[in-house]
Amino acid sequence: MKRNRSKKPSIGRRTMLGRLGFNFYDVFIYGFCILFALVCVYPMWYVFVASVTPYEEYIKGGLMLWPRGGVDFQYYIAIFSTKSFLNSLWISVSKTVLATVLSVLVTSTMAYAVSKTHVRGMKVINALVVFNLFFTGGLIPQYMLYQDLGLLRSYWVMVIPGALNITYFVIMRNYFTYSVPKELEEAARLDGCTDVGLFFRIVMPVSKAMVAAVTLFIAVINWNDYYNYMMFIGNKTELQPFAWILRRMLVDQSMMNTVRNGAASLGLQTPPPMALRMATIICAMVPILCVYPFLQKYFTSGITLGAVKE
Amino acid sequence: MIGRSITAARPPRHVGKWERFLIYMRKYWFIYLLVLPGLICMIVFNYGTMYGIQLAFKDYSPRLGVWGSPWVGFTHFQEMIQDPSFIRAFQNTVIINVYKIAFGFTFNVFLALFINEIKRKKVKSVVQTCVYLPYFLSWVIFAGLIQVFLEYPSASDLGGVVNQVIQSLGGQPVDFLKEPSMFRGILTISNIIKTAGYSSIVYFAAMAGISPTLYESAAIDGANRKDMMFHITLPRILPSVAIMLILELSGLFASNFDQVYNLYSNYVLSTGDVLSTYIYRISLGGGTEYELSTAMNLVLNLGGLIVVLIANKFVEKLDVQGIF
Repeated sequence: MKRNRSKKPSIGRRTMLGRLGFNFYDVFIYGFCILFALVCVYPMWYVFVASVTPYEEYIKGGLMLWPRGGVDFQYYIAIFSTKSFLNSLWISVSKTVLATVLSVLVTSTMAYAVSKTHVRGMKVINALVVFNLFFTGGLIPQYMLYQDLGLLRSYWVMVIPGALNITYFVIMRNYFTYSVPKELEEAARLDGCTDVGLFFRIVMPVSKAMVAAVTLFIAVINWNDYYNYMMFIGNKTELQPFAWILRRMLVDQSMMNTVRNGAASLGLQTPPPMALRMATIICAMVPILCVYPFLQKYFTSGITLGAVKE
Repeated sequence: MIGRSITAARPPRHVGKWERFLIYMRKYWFIYLLVLPGLICMIVFNYGTMYGIQLAFKDYSPRLGVWGSPWVGFTHFQEMIQDPSFIRAFQNTVIINVYKIAFGFTFNVFLALFINEIKRKKVKSVVQTCVYLPYFLSWVIFAGLIQVFLEYPSASDLGGVVNQVIQSLGGQPVDFLKEPSMFRGILTISNIIKTAGYSSIVYFAAMAGISPTLYESAAIDGANRKDMMFHITLPRILPSVAIMLILELSGLFASNFDQVYNLYSNYVLSTGDVLSTYIYRISLGGGTEYELSTAMNLVLNLGGLIVVLIANKFVEKLDVQGIF
């Protein structure tokens, strides 16, 4: 055994592992990839396990691989008995649904229209849209604009301004241009199909999968968004989205104290701040994990490559 | 083809300009209708902000409004150049981006190459599922995960996992997130974990296009798998690598607000404060330097635009579809 290890295992030569069907190269490749995969998912698993571990076990600390001493949802009870959590969940869900539907409708219809480059003006419009990827007015001009439009400190500032999503505009435009078979449209036209019929009965059904994927992507972006609240709504706590609650749980001591005192008044053990943070993190992650399998199915098939497609 | 031939059919000569416009509109009304909502949104929300840029050349007073405030020329730009915090934020931004390109970008390419070498389908798809996932979590969630692992122990809590391990091995706990010398490292590594998997998808797409016969003939010639990786796979994905590198370089002055804002604190401003967080702090995030922040944003945007245009020229040279 010792001799075997001192010998440098080389590729092609049959070593101990080689006899088991491995060689050094494979071990390195598999080891590297599996290690990195663990680095990516273990933190989430740890946070989940720690957040359901009973207090007595939690304070012992250490790397947890499995909930020790049973499963206990006391931290979840603690955060959900705080009024602002439920309210923010409702805000997040409603603004995610509204903003996503609006954004997909506006972006997909515009992307389809602009993909018809033979129609006058579409090339100009395309250039105007893409220009915005690289040049924006910036934070203060945006603030002034929303002030003039009366959007400031209103719920709608989290919904309306993002209606045209330029990144997904580019991706959808490329999809309509390159991936919807031209023959299909030609055949439909020969059968006397109008532009309207073409869009609703040919193009949309053909692009269903792509539109579904983009919808999920935009939904995830909206769920994660706290920027609009932070910049343009400020401290109106009745409008804060869940992502902002999480942010406050991470940095805001007074918020943390409110939740901890609330838990104590419920007769629970005063929870450690980190455990409450972990429970909040899990709540923010659950919706994303739910749609992730569907997302993965589509983005690997290449829709996100729109901008750099060869 | 059909659509084009209809376009080519011109209306009779005697028809006036206006009527010709109407005929054209009648033919394509639906396309114009579809483009309308997006066009309105773009004009209002994207181009609507452009009028506010004049603040960069004005002294804003809320009483007079944006239009009424007096012009002051390039005063704010001079102020900007003389602002040591701006210079510091600029340097930090560029240094952090260089780190991200040097380590993150290289890592992405190698991750793609290595994952591609996994021959067991099951293992490969599990690994891919795991490495893509962090991309979809927001930086707030990610900052939370980082805190869970790196937090300094306090009276009411155990501290992060890493510090627990250090302590159980007999070491002194480290306050990672408040240590200026470590902050850039944390930014770079967390960025790799969050985005490496997702960024590697581009290369998988390129690898899928490599003809298997190349590998077969190489195997007959006695090449081993490592040789194939470096002499077949890598050269074949090089065009994609070049494009991604150019795109990455074009973001040299861009800074990830989400990432830095959720991880930094006053302790690490010296190494971690980047342009976007600085611009935020002096304006909406507590300061009142609205004009200065607009001026900085304008300069950065113009600089970024120039770099992107140059980058796009290079991408076009590479004989692939550019951004525009």
